[in-house]
Amino acid sequence: MSHLIHIELDRLEGSLLRVLGLIERRGFHIDQMELYDLGEKRGLSVTVRPRDPSRSPDQLGLQIDRLYGITRLSADPRVGAGADTQAKQGIRA
Amino acid sequence: MSNEPTGAQLVISTLKALGVETLFGYPGGAIMPIYDALAGSGLQHILVRHEQGASFAADAYARATGKVGVCMATSGPGATNLITGIANAYMDSVPLVCITGQVGTHLMGTDGFQEVDILGICLPIVKHSWLVRNPADIPRILAEAFAIASEGRPGPVLVDIPKDVAAAHTGTSSTATFPAWTAPEPDANAIREAEKLIASAKKPLFYAGGGVEMGGASPAFLELVKRTGIPVVTTLKGIGVVPTTEELYLGMLGMHGTRAANTAVQESDLLIALGARFDDRATGKLNAFAPNAKIIHADIDPAEINKLRKANVGIVGNLKTTIESLNPKVEGIQKWVEKCKADKWEHRFRYNAPGAGVYAPALLKLLSEKAGDKFIAACDVGQHQMWVAQHCEFANCRAHLTSGGSGAMGYGLPAGVGAKLAKPDHHVVTISGDGSFMMNIQEMATLNRYNIPLKIVLLDNSSLGLVRQWQELFYQENYSEIDLSDNPDFVVVAKAFGLDAFRITHRHEVEGAVDRLLAAEGPTLLHVLIDPRENVWPLVPPGASNAEMMEERWDEPLDSY
Ligand SMILES: Cc1ncc(C[n+]2csc(CCOP(=O)(O)OP(=O)(O)O)c2C)c(N)n1
Ligand SMILES: [Mg+2]
Repeated sequence: MSHLIHIELDRLEGSLLRVLGLIERRGFHIDQMELYDLGEKRGLSVTVRPRDPSRSPDQLGLQIDRLYGITRLSADPRVGAGADTQAKQGIRA
Repeated sequence: MSNEPTGAQLVISTLKALGVETLFGYPGGAIMPIYDALAGSGLQHILVRHEQGASFAADAYARATGKVGVCMATSGPGATNLITGIANAYMDSVPLVCITGQVGTHLMGTDGFQEVDILGICLPIVKHSWLVRNPADIPRILAEAFAIASEGRPGPVLVDIPKDVAAAHTGTSSTATFPAWTAPEPDANAIREAEKLIASAKKPLFYAGGGVEMGGASPAFLELVKRTGIPVVTTLKGIGVVPTTEELYLGMLGMHGTRAANTAVQESDLLIALGARFDDRATGKLNAFAPNAKIIHADIDPAEINKLRKANVGIVGNLKTTIESLNPKVEGIQKWVEKCKADKWEHRFRYNAPGAGVYAPALLKLLSEKAGDKFIAACDVGQHQMWVAQHCEFANCRAHLTSGGSGAMGYGLPAGVGAKLAKPDHHVVTISGDGSFMMNIQEMATLNRYNIPLKIVLLDNSSLGLVRQWQELFYQENYSEIDLSDNPDFVVVAKAFGLDAFRITHRHEVEGAVDRLLAAEGPTLLHVLIDPRENVWPLVPPGASNAEMMEERWDEPLDSY
């Protein structure tokens, strides 16, 4: 089962490697990805597939949320304003 | 020359402004501007003899105090020598700021002398990292680095500073702050749900990890334990969150846990996990772990809830307020508590091992009792580490410094350096093995240079004991590369480094040796020869359920030792 994750990246040293490395390390294949310009930030859409059923995409999402300067979005930001940003809810742990 | 500060001067002034007093490091080419600014700054810099020692010492300084530890190294090999320490801090959630020199910006990416992409190498083992491109950013980045290292679930961060950036002048002043972060408060509904589960449980059990102490919640937790009367097991890192003498404390769970702790977990109908992460060394075979238990899991890190074991109630946020707000009605658990206590008594450790040789568990227990509330153990990794976890008494969690998640041999001696500098009025004792000690043996020179009166107990079984034990039990006694019988004479070596050192070989010498060690004025090593065949018991075989504990007993009258 594939999962599409949308991510917003601050323009920080290493941020792309940081998030892609995390996805692979936590047990997911990266099947497709697209990097695009969002002005001050960059957008990244990644299609991931768990290596085995014990790897949960929800859990991966929470791992991504822990990264700094990297925000997970629940909907495609290019779809237009008002996209549902399921940001970090103040949790930076 | 400009009067404006250099990047390097900003590093030093910002560290001071952030409250740093002591840091650990080792100079070299790319970090020379920072060492130039360090001289005469008033910061206490401890020159270790290997950068790994700097990262471990800073880690232990942080663990012992709750403050952020700081270490520095030059580019290339200096930076890579820090890595084991960074990974260690990452696995155990220790707040650590690592500052590395980098080659000049124009050389980066050209395979310049001593260039290594340390930011890239460390990405998986830091909470965050920075490569500083502009000296004016240094105060802000360092303030951010300290905040990120210590807030929420703590961890290591890396600040890589190219030589030209450190050398350049800038107009920025050294005052920078980073908005303080406050841990989110636990959800009141989740607390109520947890209370309901506790109220309906007949066999509830606390499973407490190092997060309890890191969340500043240990006193509140002890109060909760006393208020509810619910028994406690801890992880390796959680040892001491309640004093080990507390009657409801059943011991450590997991691979080398006590029988009482593992049995309680397997039988419990509700496991209340606080600041713990269901690590495989703690759970054994995961799907056989606590098979009858519902789970309440409280942690500051939302990514830990449901990671390995599904929680019936997850509580994310400030662990101290979580623990303080839990006020469940606890009824009808007396039978359970009595059973737990009876198991604890029946399976208590025995110290009447046969023979006249030194029995390490008995020595360690005695050492911790004699050192009392001021005891701090800095452990290495191996059988001796597990014996410390099993047999020493600890008044609090910050008294037990151990490389838990990473299991890094070589931690003990530099950790002792860091801890003794942090807590000079404590009995800080490094407890090491003959294998581990050799991994950072050079730090005895640091003890001597600064006259740090660390005490060292070297438990010498002339082998890589824990590996030997596994080969004996799980590899048909095929002993492969574990013999260290050609060890140097550790007493002579220690003396050559300027320490006092002495050796014991017999049980009757133990008490006198412990007294002499604790009373010694300067850095002192006690070399203890022990039987290489001694094993750590109990033991859950790798991959097995915690219900399948192996144990060894000897048939001698109890408590005769
Ligand atoms: C850096 C590192 N290398 C290898 C290991 C694997 N290992 C775990 S325990 C151990 C033996 C430790 O020997 P020693 O320090 O003498 O302790 P003992 O078990 O004999 O008490 C080894 C090699 C490790 N944990 N860390
Ligand atoms: Mg050994």
